[in-house]
Amino acid sequence: MPAAVMQRIARSPGLARLGVIVMLLAIWEAAARWVVDPLFLAPPSRVVTSLGAVLGTRGVPAALQITVFELAVAFAISVAIGLVVGLVVGLHNFSRRSFMPIILLLYGTPQVTILPLFILYFGIGPASKIAFGVTHGMFPIIMTVAAGVQNIKPILLVSARSMGASSVQILRHVIFPHMIPSFFTGMRLGMTGVLLGVLLAELYVSTAGIGYFTTLFTQNFDPTKLLGLISILAAMAIALNEIVRRLEVRFARWRD
Amino acid sequence: MRDIAVRVKNVSHRFGEEDEARNVRALLDTSLDIARGELLCLIGPSGCGKSTLLNVIGGLLAPTAGAVDVLGKPVQGPMPRDIAFVFQENALFPWNTVIENVDLGMRFQGVARAEREERARRSLEAVGLKDFAHHYPAQLSGGMRQRAALARALSLQTDILLMDEPFGALDEQTRMILGEDLSVLLASTRKTIVFVTHSLGEAVFLADRVAVFSARPGTIKRVIAVEEPHPRKPDFVTSQKFTALRNELYALLHDEIRKTVSAESAPPATPGALS
Amino acid sequence: MNAGGARSTSAAGSHAVQIGFVVGLVVLWYLAATRWGVSSILLPNPITVARDLWEILRTGEYVDDLRVTLTELAAAFAISATSGVVLGYLISRSTYRIRVFEPLFAAIYSVPIILFLPLYVLFFGLGPPSKIALGATISFFPVVLNTIAGFGYVDRLLITAARSMGASDYQLFRFVLLPAALPVILTGMRMGFTVALLSIIGSETIASLAGLGHRIVHLAEAMEMARMFAYIAFVVAIAAFLNVVVSTLEKRGRRF
Repeated sequence: MPAAVMQRIARSPGLARLGVIVMLLAIWEAAARWVVDPLFLAPPSRVVTSLGAVLGTRGVPAALQITVFELAVAFAISVAIGLVVGLVVGLHNFSRRSFMPIILLLYGTPQVTILPLFILYFGIGPASKIAFGVTHGMFPIIMTVAAGVQNIKPILLVSARSMGASSVQILRHVIFPHMIPSFFTGMRLGMTGVLLGVLLAELYVSTAGIGYFTTLFTQNFDPTKLLGLISILAAMAIALNEIVRRLEVRFARWRD
Repeated sequence: MRDIAVRVKNVSHRFGEEDEARNVRALLDTSLDIARGELLCLIGPSGCGKSTLLNVIGGLLAPTAGAVDVLGKPVQGPMPRDIAFVFQENALFPWNTVIENVDLGMRFQGVARAEREERARRSLEAVGLKDFAHHYPAQLSGGMRQRAALARALSLQTDILLMDEPFGALDEQTRMILGEDLSVLLASTRKTIVFVTHSLGEAVFLADRVAVFSARPGTIKRVIAVEEPHPRKPDFVTSQKFTALRNELYALLHDEIRKTVSAESAPPATPGALS
Repeated sequence: MNAGGARSTSAAGSHAVQIGFVVGLVVLWYLAATRWGVSSILLPNPITVARDLWEILRTGEYVDDLRVTLTELAAAFAISATSGVVLGYLISRSTYRIRVFEPLFAAIYSVPIILFLPLYVLFFGLGPPSKIALGATISFFPVVLNTIAGFGYVDRLLITAARSMGASDYQLFRFVLLPAALPVILTGMRMGFTVALLSIIGSETIASLAGLGHRIVHLAEAMEMARMFAYIAFVVAIAAFLNVVVSTLEKRGRRF
């Protein structure tokens, strides 16, 4: 490689990173074309060109829509539950001391063991995916909201009280704004949880969602379409994560 | 006889229960009359109860014995229309700008919206922060933050101002400037101010009277009068009168400070122990 | 102000609430299953569950599945821990390399890697290798990221001080870098272990022929509710135990 190019790369890590990614893609391409049986691996070039075909496969766009729907609803419910429970638990020392250990315990158990149970209870349709997404997404929000409410500097509360603020005013003008950055951090973590929960449930059993198609493509030994579908889902996950991350940065501006 | 703004009647305060190991007698039978329009400093060693007394006067703390009357009324809780606080630490709400902080204080007090804007503008101008109204506290220096806290307190237009070591976290030079500005500012208002400080010079410079506390359990040892009109000029600090008063305070405090420090640590080893 | 006394009574109070909560839940479960006519297809009798659990433990029926799961876990973690630490160390040696690779790893990790499971199943089949591959992939990231952080952000002052005293490369590594980085690396390994366990149970649930996750699915499909609940309890207990062990090891390691 010419010296000038090497120098540019040496000065910019971003460029080097791009180079690493390109190199990995090249290895993948070579391996898929000449080394590995095409039943098991498809080269990225073919994956990209077949994306259209994937989206054209009957039922795939609808499946993607259903998945997005499941994610949205699960996220909304997680946020609602997380906010309410987090506030209740965080505001009163007694409720926090009583319920936080229980919440932490629930959060720490491998929820994936009860995935079959969720399907039995909620059926194989979107309801079970949403429910499973909620159980994964709500805990980070509960914990960050409770923490945000609870770690407010006492001097701020004393100051508000000294100015004659009522309890409602303190809640609205002091506790709530203080908790907002933590809430957005919780939402970012909650989105990761919701993605995990919904996707896990989809991959487990699905009749019309993307899980159906991943199973189909796997059983038909169609790595091209499988990789295509996974790429689309990965892109979607990245987009959703990025949105919540941006929101978090925007709303945490007054922190440090 | 001047109007009495704050009457402290035999206030004692103890933290914790009597039989507990952790109980602390912060204040012991303290009485004090503070005249309307005067600036009274409370000074004393650490833990002597001066901040406790301030919180009792302001209604943030109910004393275990005794009572306080403010403007003729007994204190039973915060009195936001009569008393405003300026604390040492940053008590500004970090998610609000300076002017939003000032506005919020008035909202808590119950001031109508129409009046709030005008009052906020005036109080920010009075402390010299007119150009920083839309800055966040994190963007300001310590001195400016305390000016903002003062502006918030001033906008509440209370008769009484309680200041708990407001300049305690600032460096010497900023303290000097803020002290001078405070003196100028308060000469034009007729507020009654109770000001807690550690600094002897600050007390003499600002106060009409200085109440000197003993070591814990705190009680007022002596009240010294500083007869010098406000606003105080910077050259007051170098005058003989200033030095004499400062020395008097030092003499009163020195023993109390020693008592406090030795109560907290072991006595120094005798010279023979080292050999 | 009765601060101390109040604190100890409310600690007792919160424990009482927790115990009451758990006991209440079990009582509700029992009543629902036996008196209130909730079908045993949905909610098995807790006594039957306890009996089944006892029987499973007594007969050692769990041994085969447990062995599969633990072997997968051990293999996955061994791969991810060694590769993560080695790679992390090599990357941490230069700030430039850190700037190139750390964001790359962080970005990949932000995608729900469970999405790769169908790919691994397609490639490796339904047996243990696909679970090991997924477990290793997922747990690689916390290890490598923490290793980079641990070695890469050692206080420059410490390194300068050691060099000024004549430390060789090996001495620097053994007496400065390693002790400084160890707590962070151990945390990364703990996180990697936890996440490997979760992903292995999860992938066993979704697509497997053996292992604890698979056993639960099998029982769900056979509608053997009581036995399934028993296995769920068993798996939760095993997971909790392993997590406690790993956490203790982490804390011990930190006390270097």
